Amino acid sequence: MFSKFLRRTHMYLALFLVPWILIYALSTMAMNHRQFFTKRGDSPVRFEKESEQTYTGTFPLQATARQMALQLLKGLNLEGTFSMQGKPESERITILRHDPIFPRRITFAPKSGQLMVERQVFSAHTFLERMHRRRGYQHDRLLEDAWAISVDVVIAAIVFWALSGGWMWWELRATRMWGGACLMLGVGLFGLFLFSI
Amino acid sequence: MTLNLLLRRTHIYLALFLLPWFGMYGISSLPFSHPEWFKPPDGGPQRTVRFDRSYQITVPQTSDLRETGARILQDNGLQGSFGVYQPNPQRLNVYLFSFWSATEITYFIDQKRLLAEDQPFRWSSFLTGLHARGGFEQESLLNDAWGVLVDFVSLGFLVWIGTGLYMWWQLQPTRFWGGLALGGGVLAFVLFLWRL
Repeated sequence: MFSKFLRRTHMYLALFLVPWILIYALSTMAMNHRQFFTKRGDSPVRFEKESEQTYTGTFPLQATARQMALQLLKGLNLEGTFSMQGKPESERITILRHDPIFPRRITFAPKSGQLMVERQVFSAHTFLERMHRRRGYQHDRLLEDAWAISVDVVIAAIVFWALSGGWMWWELRATRMWGGACLMLGVGLFGLFLFSI
Repeated sequence: MTLNLLLRRTHIYLALFLLPWFGMYGISSLPFSHPEWFKPPDGGPQRTVRFDRSYQITVPQTSDLRETGARILQDNGLQGSFGVYQPNPQRLNVYLFSFWSATEITYFIDQKRLLAEDQPFRWSSFLTGLHARGGFEQESLLNDAWGVLVDFVSLGFLVWIGTGLYMWWQLQPTRFWGGLALGGGVLAFVLFLWRL
């Protein structure tokens, strides 16, 4: 009964997490060969202009740059996680909206009201790397926390797969010898790397 | 040997061989996801100065500073894996590292001064160092071999997905709940892509 429970959990958890594992595998390859992409002259971040307008809205008195950014993003229907640079009295405020597929750079000039939206040109390796690095509970949005939880679930699942996989291997008597050899080889090689590079 | 058996055995033997990397990537993800768990309450031990001396080297105005970094290490009797970066026009930093230790070498260009500081061992640095290590820019065969293994682990993940899906489909009674789990995962992931 315990064995069956372990096998089913191993499998159903893996099926649910297929998209995450796929992204982590592909992104690891892309990051491991980052030199290939940079050598090709493929700049990691390129933006193209999406729109330009004069912002006619008004901000509350004493509004902080962050409050201004939130209002601008809401007006543009681009609400979500962002980082920013600049102050209300600065020449311009730059907002980077962290969209997973198409991040956007919004540049606002408080004095003239000039508002420009640029969209990051899609490239597979930067998309993969972005997804790989997205994590943590530092943002104020529920969905960001949900993503961070999903990342933690993947971490827990990896540990669980290792343990339950070990259990299932040991139950298959016919595989013990070759399985043991693979395990020893892996551990030995990992140990060699650990102390030599 | 049938295809079915071949796929099952590939799934299990590959997993056993790659188990140390698999476990390492799982555990070493924690300091990235929860950096606050690994922060020492008192800030932890400080760096120690290994040397602080006069030194002169011409830093080229090109983006590839690796040669200069290698020369700095060679001139000062240091060796190992390293990275080079220039945080500002007056500084050049060479980061010398292994899994267990790290030394930050700062060249103050305008002062013609070289400072080397050893970083104290920290579990978070050890784990993140293991996790982030990869690529093929180091000039040693073992480093390249590690890079190849990182590719192999990534490929392993893809093989587990493929063979796992095959084995699931073979188990007829699990198709419904398995399909639900797979569909649920894909749906949740697409939702994240769309709404994050």
